[in-house]
Amino acid sequence: MGVAYKIDSDHAASRTYREALFRCMRGALANHPEAFLLGQGVDDHKGTFGSTIGLAEEFGADRVMDSPLAEESMTGIGIGAALNGLYPIQTHIRADFALLAMNQIVNMAAKYKYMFGGRFEVPMLIRMVIGRSWGQGAQHSQSLQSLFAHVPGLTVIMPATPDAILETYPWIIANHRGPVVSLEHRLLYDIAFRSDDVAAGNDPLTSRLLREGSDVTIVATSIMVLEAKRAAEHLAETAGIEAEVIDLHCVSHPNRAMILDSVTKTGRLIVADTSWKAYGVAAEISRLVCEHDPSVLRAPIATLGMAPAPCPTAKTLEDLYYPTLRSLADTAARVVTGRDDHGVALPEEASMADVYKRFKGPF
Amino acid sequence: MKFANLHERLFYEALRIRRAEERIIEIYPTDRIQSPVHLSIGQEAIAVGVCEPLRIEDPLFGSYRSHAFFLAKGGSMRDMFAELYGKATGGCGGKAGSMHLTAPEVGFMGSSAVVASTIPNAVGAALAAKRRGTGQVVVTVFGDGATEEGVYHESLNFASLHRLPVLFVCENNGLAVHSKLSDRQSYDLCQHAATYGLPTQRCREGWNFLLVRDEMARAAEEVRSGSGPRFLEYQTYRYQEHVGIGCDHDVGYRSRAALEEWQANDPLLHDSALVDAFDLAIREEIDDAVRFAEESPWPGPEHLLADVA
Ligand SMILES: Cc1ncc(C[n+]2csc(CCOP(=O)(O)OP(=O)(O)O)c2C)c(N)n1
Ligand SMILES: [Mg+2]
Repeated sequence: MGVAYKIDSDHAASRTYREALFRCMRGALANHPEAFLLGQGVDDHKGTFGSTIGLAEEFGADRVMDSPLAEESMTGIGIGAALNGLYPIQTHIRADFALLAMNQIVNMAAKYKYMFGGRFEVPMLIRMVIGRSWGQGAQHSQSLQSLFAHVPGLTVIMPATPDAILETYPWIIANHRGPVVSLEHRLLYDIAFRSDDVAAGNDPLTSRLLREGSDVTIVATSIMVLEAKRAAEHLAETAGIEAEVIDLHCVSHPNRAMILDSVTKTGRLIVADTSWKAYGVAAEISRLVCEHDPSVLRAPIATLGMAPAPCPTAKTLEDLYYPTLRSLADTAARVVTGRDDHGVALPEEASMADVYKRFKGPF
Repeated sequence: MKFANLHERLFYEALRIRRAEERIIEIYPTDRIQSPVHLSIGQEAIAVGVCEPLRIEDPLFGSYRSHAFFLAKGGSMRDMFAELYGKATGGCGGKAGSMHLTAPEVGFMGSSAVVASTIPNAVGAALAAKRRGTGQVVVTVFGDGATEEGVYHESLNFASLHRLPVLFVCENNGLAVHSKLSDRQSYDLCQHAATYGLPTQRCREGWNFLLVRDEMARAAEEVRSGSGPRFLEYQTYRYQEHVGIGCDHDVGYRSRAALEEWQANDPLLHDSALVDAFDLAIREEIDDAVRFAEESPWPGPEHLLADVA
């Protein structure tokens, strides 16, 4: 535990999220003859933001298939292929486009096993990219994990680091016999992380304890995991506040024991999600704690997420729309001290998109 | 501006669109326009030809590639630049950006960034027009790629079944992002639409704004007279990359020769007398719009949760 990664592009052993994705896509094709990629533009020169570049040339057009613009039928075709011995890996360059495939994902992929009394399996991986910043706006930025995680029969992951990808994708493709929805964050693609060699053998479909601390538990998803780690380091340095950070990772199957043990220890919980709070991850993690034993809480639960609106495009509004390192550190200081005027120095940074500046539009 | 004839007027409109998008290209590296831009340079003749015969109250629904149709339908240059800048004075107050330009005051209905998603909305508007007897013609504009989406097929069926006053206008630039039409489609666009019982028309000269306009005018008249929907395919060519301001004829998916072939017919590149006659007025309008955008205020916190539900 306590995987030693850091945002660090100079470190010799660092790798980007994109590189990890590419390694897994290539590995899937090389090691699993039944695996194939099916998605819009997987074979073009940009290769799904660099995660599939060159694979069509290396493995052939049968294994790396460009698709027409037809999300629902392509998903259904993927399901049919999975029912008959192939392993489809499908891509949506924005999670928003997967909404067109909801019928096949929710009514079919999620149901085949149970509805037919366990007689079918639909092993497949559906990758969806969450957009953010540079005016992505209302239809290119939605973070739809709770929609998918709501549905029994789907496994939903949100890898927050290259390690999470390297530990999870190969394992799923080799071992998991059901449909997996993976939400990848576009802002993470270009970030280099320092990384120890990836530990094999853990169950990748659960949550991950990234930092130990005694004062407050931060349960985070995707890019908010990075913010939680940065906030925790800031709070430790400036105020001696020790935050425990849990990367929820498998949104549909969180590690209940890990979360409950942690909140029992710290007595305080913050949930930092990339999406809306209502009916989402924030609500769900709060439910786990409240149904278990609300008396372990020494302070009210605090949650961070997008403002309850579609995403605006103007940068001034977008900066207000998303939670920031600053709002997370402020929330943690308030929860731990029990005071709004906590006096803890806050990081200056207002706009996360500025920090992840390697992401510069348009896509 | 006074025009000697329709050709000059359409030329002016097309040049105005091209210069506006060229200005976007100039500004973009400064990061003042932080919005994904899908440029129509090369495709302007379709927008001006399609919009000319329409009335202001005829609703037109577009896609993320809509600067051209926004302007051709009568949208304001200031509204557009302010919206691209994310300013409070933009047509949608900084909530739309490039991909969702809108000007309902001139019948330019919403543009959507989800491919094909406004096609059924246009059909619904046509249903309302017919039921309410408004005499409107509704237009839905979409790319060749959009015709692969199921909702397009379902919309054609409903429109034809109910003989709705809607014109399906396909801007066929032969590409969806970097994928060639022949790698994506097993059907012919016109033949396919015809199987739903729609009269269809293919125009191979998408650069020829007078021809585009004449075909559109005839179709719009027929639709307005109550004879049901029509399908128009306009072949065209996108000069810039799919999204963004660059050129990408050197990355492998298309050739420079194809660009040059198209450019050889492009009136905006060849009639330098008209260009010289119009450029100054156009530049003034664009300068004014850019100044307006730069000087306008940002939307503030009070706008964040306004207009949600
Ligand atoms: C439902 C959906 N799928 C995929 C995308 C990503 N995408 C954006 S534009 C585009 C190509 C559309 O091609 P076409 O309809 O021919 O229009 P063009 O861009 O050529 O004008 C794609 C695949 C999207 N925006 N929406
Ligand atoms: Mg196209």
